[in-house]
Amino acid sequence: MFITFALITLLSALGMLLQKNIIVAGLFMVGAFFGVAGLFVLLANPVAAALQIIVYTGAIMVLVLFVIMMLNSHEEEKAQSPRAIQRWLSIAVVAALAVGAVKLVFASPGLKALAIRGAAMPEAMTLQKVGLTLFADHVLGFEVAGLLLLAAMIGAVALTKRNL
Amino acid sequence: MDKLASLLHTTPAIVWMALKIVIVFGGVMSLAAIFTWVERRGSAMIQDRIGPNRAALFGKIRIIGLAQILADGIKMFFKEDLIPTDANRRLFWLAPFLAFVPALLGFAVIPFGKSFMSGGHTYHLSVLDPGNGMGMLYPLAIGGMAVYGVLVAAWSSNNKWSILGGMRASAAMVSYEIGMSLAVVAIFMTAGGYDPSEIITAQGHLPWTWNVVRQPLGFIVFFTCMFAETNRLPFDFAEGESEIVAGFNTEFGSMKFSLMALAEYSHMMTASALIATLYFGGWQVPFVKDPSVMLSVACFVLKLVFFAWVFVWIRWTVPRFRYDQLMRLGWKRMLPLSMVNLVFHAWRMSQGH
Amino acid sequence: MGVVVKKVELSWLDSTYVWPVLKGMAITFEHFIKQLFTPTSKRYTIQYPEMKKEMPEGYRGLHELKRFEDGAIKCVACFMCQEACPARCISIEAEEFSDLNITQGFEEKRPAQFKIDMLRCIYCGMCEEACPKDAIWLRKDYEVAAYDRLSMQYGKWDLMNTYSKVDGKDRITQDTTPTVPRRTIVM
Repeated sequence: MFITFALITLLSALGMLLQKNIIVAGLFMVGAFFGVAGLFVLLANPVAAALQIIVYTGAIMVLVLFVIMMLNSHEEEKAQSPRAIQRWLSIAVVAALAVGAVKLVFASPGLKALAIRGAAMPEAMTLQKVGLTLFADHVLGFEVAGLLLLAAMIGAVALTKRNL
Repeated sequence: MDKLASLLHTTPAIVWMALKIVIVFGGVMSLAAIFTWVERRGSAMIQDRIGPNRAALFGKIRIIGLAQILADGIKMFFKEDLIPTDANRRLFWLAPFLAFVPALLGFAVIPFGKSFMSGGHTYHLSVLDPGNGMGMLYPLAIGGMAVYGVLVAAWSSNNKWSILGGMRASAAMVSYEIGMSLAVVAIFMTAGGYDPSEIITAQGHLPWTWNVVRQPLGFIVFFTCMFAETNRLPFDFAEGESEIVAGFNTEFGSMKFSLMALAEYSHMMTASALIATLYFGGWQVPFVKDPSVMLSVACFVLKLVFFAWVFVWIRWTVPRFRYDQLMRLGWKRMLPLSMVNLVFHAWRMSQGH
Repeated sequence: MGVVVKKVELSWLDSTYVWPVLKGMAITFEHFIKQLFTPTSKRYTIQYPEMKKEMPEGYRGLHELKRFEDGAIKCVACFMCQEACPARCISIEAEEFSDLNITQGFEEKRPAQFKIDMLRCIYCGMCEEACPKDAIWLRKDYEVAAYDRLSMQYGKWDLMNTYSKVDGKDRITQDTTPTVPRRTIVM
């Protein structure tokens, strides 16, 4: 199961990178999101999977595709002349990031605890638990994020509306 | 069940699962097919016409035109499968499936009857058993995926009308999703859970304790949003004969078109199942405290068919909205209304009701 | 000057949309029920092959050549209809058929052939107007169709026998000699 979803995610991500047509790339990204949602379900967190699909694929990707479709139609973008330094630099940065991420994961206390206790299936996440975590433990962060989004929304409305 | 399982060398659970899948999806699909006929016949009756009543089996058995479904299917099957020259071929192939699969999948969590015990096992009458942790979030998530069917169909056919239709339809679907979700959240709150079976048990068997009486405002919002979600009149912005021909399915013909049409009707079925589950007590039989399994299933199917009929009925009553009217209704009426509904019920719960 | 659009002020009940939609649904449901329980024969739709529309008075359909009670054709082959026809679809060949003199009250001319090309005919009814003997007239029937062009050329016997079954007459394929004088001529 894990292999299936991981393959879906990785292959979709690869397809997205290699695809020249921007809309098809977007659809590949949707596929990758689905793979990630499947992984969430395997991690006994169906709520995160549902939210992943609702928020990312159902709303954000739709809007992104929407804007792309509005702006250009069927022309495939021509690749810009690649510069060697850009390519090597990006590869180096990505490699550094990857090494850092792997190191971080291996150094995490959770993994060590897992090694000691053994992998037990964690209790399934429910919406109630998510709510409790958000509104009891992290209420400040939640409110700040909400305020930030509100400000962004008002800003967007103010920008698009010419005559208030 | 056990005998059948041992005959097939599997466990009863798997047999039961396969059985459920076949029954649910086969049932929904055939209901959707029947509703293509109901739609045409019903609209004809509403407009004082007669409608398709002539298609007959073997040229003789004319069962009030029901064979029209078969005739349509055969016709669609043998039509030429055209793909426009400049269309994106692969996406053009994919689009009908993207429209059809989410429309059908949303049905998976909905319990269509009372759970029953047999031989030490509890059998739940829904494809995904309750307590899967996904609950009502699942149909919402899958419902959101329906946008892709329209978008991809519109874009891949490389046609200006299609793109315009797909654009405005997907915009409408995305904006109505918000009001719908907020209305559903109010139900999660009052039911104290987000699993459909919990929501159904919380509603009880008396019609005045159903959510439609408890939250009439939420019901109106949800019902309206369902019309926008399923792309049905008065909100079917994917098409529009006078402005953009047939909208997103202008270029689709033969089996692809019939899959698109079937997707619309399956989506309608799923939507009416959601309405029945969330606001009309699901499989609860009015005034019967402990109904038998068959009775509960029958009651659910009755509710389902009734709401599907209401979809048809409203389609032939109300004309299509203008686009700006739709957006105004969605953002300035539905969203605040569902917000008010949510806050009101939160306040009531905080008062200890 | 542009067109002044009158804005309709909605009452608060109407501006909720819910009540008007319910009203509309009541209307459509009334129609639905009414139509559902109307027997087929009373519906507006005419179920064509089984039911046929009663054509109005003066409708001009397929032609018929009339005959007398004894079966003799009324037409005297005077060529008036052929001349009057604007579409030139009638062609007649006349023949003499009897020794009975016109002075004795018998007509001695009749068409040997009487062809109407139904593909050219415009159903204007001029032949009916022109006929001095009321021998040709346009009936109310409208189902004039065939699989090939040749069968749209109606001959004399086609035109005489088309309605024999409907009117309860015998089919005839031969001209009968009249036995009674058709008119009395006042000399």
